[in-house]
Amino acid sequence: MRRAGTSFLSSGRLLRIELRRNAMLWLLPVAVVLFWYNGYRNIMALPPMWNLRAMALQNRLLLDLIIPVTGAAAWMGSREGRRDITDLLAATARPRWSRQLATWAATTAWAEAGCLGCIAVIYAMTARQAPWGGPLWWPAAVSAAGVPALTAIGFAAGAWFPGRFVTPLVTVVAFFGLAFGTQAASGDHSCWQISPLTAGAVGIGAAPGVATFYRYLPDLSIAQVMFTAGVTAAVLGALGLSAAGNGRRLRWLAAVITVTGLGAAGTSVALAGTGRLDPHGMIVIPALHDAASGQPVGYAPRCSRTVIPVCVHPAYSAFLPVVTAAMGAELTELAGLPGAPARISQVPVVYQLGPDRSVNVGASDQGVSSFALPDMLPGLFGTTSADFAGQLAQNLGVQLVSDVILGGSGGAAKPSPAQLAVIGGSVRFPASVEDRDLAPLFGRLLPSPGSPASLAARRFAELTPAAKHDWLAHHLAALRVGRISLAQLP
Amino acid sequence: MSARTADRMPPPVLGPGPARSLRPAIRLIRLYAVSRRLPAALALLAACAAGLRGALYKHWDDYGALQLPLTFEAACAAIIAVTAGSPFGDPERATGRRLPLLRLGAAAALTALAAGLLAAAGAGMPLAGGFPALLRNLAGLTGLGLLGAVLLGGPLAWTGPLAYLFAGVYALYTDWHPPALSTPWLWPGRPPHDVGGALCAAAVFAAGLIAFTVRGGRAAADS
Repeated sequence: MRRAGTSFLSSGRLLRIELRRNAMLWLLPVAVVLFWYNGYRNIMALPPMWNLRAMALQNRLLLDLIIPVTGAAAWMGSREGRRDITDLLAATARPRWSRQLATWAATTAWAEAGCLGCIAVIYAMTARQAPWGGPLWWPAAVSAAGVPALTAIGFAAGAWFPGRFVTPLVTVVAFFGLAFGTQAASGDHSCWQISPLTAGAVGIGAAPGVATFYRYLPDLSIAQVMFTAGVTAAVLGALGLSAAGNGRRLRWLAAVITVTGLGAAGTSVALAGTGRLDPHGMIVIPALHDAASGQPVGYAPRCSRTVIPVCVHPAYSAFLPVVTAAMGAELTELAGLPGAPARISQVPVVYQLGPDRSVNVGASDQGVSSFALPDMLPGLFGTTSADFAGQLAQNLGVQLVSDVILGGSGGAAKPSPAQLAVIGGSVRFPASVEDRDLAPLFGRLLPSPGSPASLAARRFAELTPAAKHDWLAHHLAALRVGRISLAQLP
Repeated sequence: MSARTADRMPPPVLGPGPARSLRPAIRLIRLYAVSRRLPAALALLAACAAGLRGALYKHWDDYGALQLPLTFEAACAAIIAVTAGSPFGDPERATGRRLPLLRLGAAAALTALAAGLLAAAGAGMPLAGGFPALLRNLAGLTGLGLLGAVLLGGPLAWTGPLAYLFAGVYALYTDWHPPALSTPWLWPGRPPHDVGGALCAAAVFAAGLIAFTVRGGRAAADS
């Protein structure tokens, strides 16, 4: 008992010394600067939604830490060899593996402190800005679990090859492997999505529609944590196996840890290969899936005070003014007309994998009273409010106006030129929307450019929303049955 | 015998004239190369070039295609920078009159060799940016590494090129995701024939080479 206590105390002392004399401490400012440069600015530029920021954090943070963390770990791992004191220290009471683990633990502690600090800053800022929801912990857990794996790889490389070139080389190899490894993943069955930098499904990633209406599925994150923990254990175990001067018991222990780590890592890779994309944009791994976690999240929608209220999920409430500004004229024009909705509600988007492994995004239930907001929100990857308004006009605007004008028979019969002209004159497209964007709708829901219907649509578009409303209130029934000609349009 | 008479005395006869003057120089160069691990550095530069060649056979998306060469260029620059460390420290500085020439020659030769090897690796392959971008990036990164060797010491000289690798990778990323970082000091993000980026990279290389030639690698305190 006394011996165990003494050993514990001396281990604590050794760890304290290693913490004070650790290269990672000096590289922490570098790590913070890299994270600010690449991660923080980008993450904070995203709309204040927990899902976007947490998933982007997973994608960025570990990438930002690779160079300083792996470099510092390799530097510390090569210390004994660099100074030619391996033989000198072999005469001390502690086995080499034990000394190495203390150095690795100190390096990991500093790196983990930096990682958790970055997570804390991002989450604290998001907590102040996000209108709805709470922190997603799984993406943060994957990042935190990746740090010991990086330090283990760097440390082991430094210990095994203590030359002057090992630190830069292992750092570049780790950077190359992690940063470029994600490119190998495609589709939902790829083993490569085990990379801790892969946040969510490949081809979707951090999208507003993921983990908003439904809970964040931790399946892939669990596999990733399992993988990084397995790699850490395997590498550290191998370090114990290779270190000279370890006793037989220590070597057995190291062998067991190595085999366990390899088993965990291999299993997690195999599990990642069984993933499939669920309709809500997340990866389901059957062996890890909890059916209860796929339930929708309850919420109270936020609605606008327009003539036809537009209701969105509270996570999107920051975009409600943009939506109402983009659709205000159409709403005024259609309010109270037969077939016009009393309220329009946002519905979730549905993600499907196409035959070429591309991801198709559509509304789960799009009708006259429901709509899906485009995934490209203002502020996301340089999307402007004008781009967003253009997407809204193409989707919600055309859908809403055509449903009312055609009386819900859109697609059943070919619309008359007058109907096309009224639809074309009612939907306001921003200047950013070009004819080629609307080409699939020409002749079906919009008049073709240069046609007589197009000229009539321009005339109709010049009316005020109130004037359009008045005209439609008197002529909608006749327009729907095709008794209005282009010449009769105002 | 006074110092003046000693100066007038003919040098000891060691062999034929030209060989006599070349042999010590060759021996000096060989010792310098061995002490700086230049043979290992050459092998690693060749391995980097082979790695680049192998990686270029794979299909990469837009990011990967642009960022991939930069990774190998940074690795080469880090290797060159790490050779700057001297195992002898002050005694060598006190006695080696020709050290600046050796430093200049070794750094310039390694940079030229790395550029040649990487260019050969990219020949006939879809190397993003081509040789101009490769040369610009390698020179700039090597300059950073040599400056790092002067300031931090040879063993830690890799921190400059690798930290800059990260900045360069991000600069390339912003070409797709605006706002783009357009400063010429982030030359990897500039087009291959951009004069501003090339001038900045050349200035950093020149500064690094001059500083390293004059001062040599700092004897770093080891942690």
